[in-house]
Amino acid sequence: MIDNLCDEPCGEEIGIAMFSSDFRNQQEQTTTNIIGAILKQLLVKGRVLEHVQKAFQKAKNEVGGRGLRLPDIVRVLGKAVAILPRVFICIDALDECPPKHLLELLRSLKDVLRESPRMQIFLTGRPQVEAEVTRYFITRLTIPIVPKTHDVQSYLENKLEMDPEPMAMSNGLRADILRIIPEKISEMCVGASTVPIPCVILY
Amino acid sequence: MNKIIADENPEVMQWLSPLDPGRRHQDVRIDRLDGVGNWIFKTSEFREWRSNEGGADKAVLFCCGNPGVGKTYLRCLIQLQEVGIIADRHQY
Repeated sequence: MIDNLCDEPCGEEIGIAMFSSDFRNQQEQTTTNIIGAILKQLLVKGRVLEHVQKAFQKAKNEVGGRGLRLPDIVRVLGKAVAILPRVFICIDALDECPPKHLLELLRSLKDVLRESPRMQIFLTGRPQVEAEVTRYFITRLTIPIVPKTHDVQSYLENKLEMDPEPMAMSNGLRADILRIIPEKISEMCVGASTVPIPCVILY
Repeated sequence: MNKIIADENPEVMQWLSPLDPGRRHQDVRIDRLDGVGNWIFKTSEFREWRSNEGGADKAVLFCCGNPGVGKTYLRCLIQLQEVGIIADRHQY
């Protein structure tokens, strides 16, 4: 039901936008393009759309049809956010942003947030970008993410249930998988601050 | 992104950004396992952030972790939850 709701325009004027950085597409993921992609998702509300259409027409009418610059798009986003009573912006994988764009992006979000405290920002990233996040959002809240045993078990149970050849595995092996893998992952997480966890997709 | 608005305003969309963030979100939604990661909603940090009572000082929540621990799926979870909250905002 929630997934279906996600495809529908929201009944109330709350804006939700997300962006996932991807190191494979760094050339196109400039700060200006990322902010523009966020803004696109806030256009579900009429007044925001009108505001952006006006900004577009103004830029188009200028000599040469000037493209968007970062200060322009940050200003447009700031006004769009101010129109909405509440806005959630989720940005994933900050560590996959090139350093220059990461700093610009965080500074831009800080500028918008300063003007619109009703905006809330959810960020994810590897520990190496924590210093940058702290630099711009010193009072931010932080949740360290480590795999939870229960989540790992649920994931494994689901995968085993979907095994196309369940008879090929003995009950003993199945039980060992469900016992040993969550234990090992928990052990790895104890030393997570110094040893990187192998790339196991848990969820 | 609202598809009708996008279809009716292709020039504006292109002017804003060539990036399409919806595609990645769709992939994550399909792979996500129900119930996994729900612990985040019980943390004091999430509750404080979600309540928005701390104003701009507590408006940013940073989920920090090594590769493969599920940060992207948590981001998806939060986003879906926010949409659900619109239908029932009193649950927090």
